[in-house]
Amino acid sequence: MANIPMLDQLQGYLSLTTQRQQMVVQNMANVDTPGYHTKDLDFQKAMQQVMDEGTSTMEPAALQVEGLPERPDGNNVNIDRESLMLSQTQLQYQMGVQLVKSQFHTMLTAIKES
Amino acid sequence: MGLFDMMNISASALSAERQRAEVTSANLANAETTHTDSGGPYVRQQVVFSESSGSPFHTVFNGVGGGAPAGSVQLTNVVNDTTPPVMRYEPGNPDADKSGYVAYPAINPVSEMVDLMGAVRAYQLNASAVGAAKQMIQESIDILKTS
Repeated sequence: MANIPMLDQLQGYLSLTTQRQQMVVQNMANVDTPGYHTKDLDFQKAMQQVMDEGTSTMEPAALQVEGLPERPDGNNVNIDRESLMLSQTQLQYQMGVQLVKSQFHTMLTAIKES
Repeated sequence: MGLFDMMNISASALSAERQRAEVTSANLANAETTHTDSGGPYVRQQVVFSESSGSPFHTVFNGVGGGAPAGSVQLTNVVNDTTPPVMRYEPGNPDADKSGYVAYPAINPVSEMVDLMGAVRAYQLNASAVGAAKQMIQESIDILKTS
């Protein structure tokens, strides 16, 4: 879809939200693992890369979230934060999918109306 | 395959938490067991969770082979609690020693219940994560639908 830059950007956006969601799920899975630290990705930076270079080919690096209180077993997963992020990322993904659908819908309209 | 990896990670957590609940239930059930096949009272067991980080090779290999993806949780070990047994004076008990004391496992039912509740809550959390992944996959499939 090289001739529709919007779709490339949306593809990058969907891929980023998927990767972020995977990290949220990872944090949820390790809610009881001693010594585990919450992971996230720099969404702004990765999205900027997508906007500059089209689809992001590089995997955005996982970084550890600062400022979360650590439990005595060295784990700092906050269930409230992860639940919130799960819903938020899910909605972001839904929005991306809707935009992709609307792009194709526009294309379909152009084909049909000719 | 990000979306399906998400499900695999959640599935690993579901399995780990279920095993934790099983071990905790066994502890609760055997809180008063004074006699085991190996002799002596029942020994309280605890699970050890660890994150399967996976080396880059493993990550790639698992991506091909369909194993557990990096970041999933695994139950690495079930360890015995080394707390000494609680001695109770019950001379009539067949398991009593010469001075009439019976060794009971050092199990606190309250802390086991709390542990069980923690396992159940973590299971619910991961089950909701599976639901989220399922919905995201469904939404991507819906792109194919012509409106």
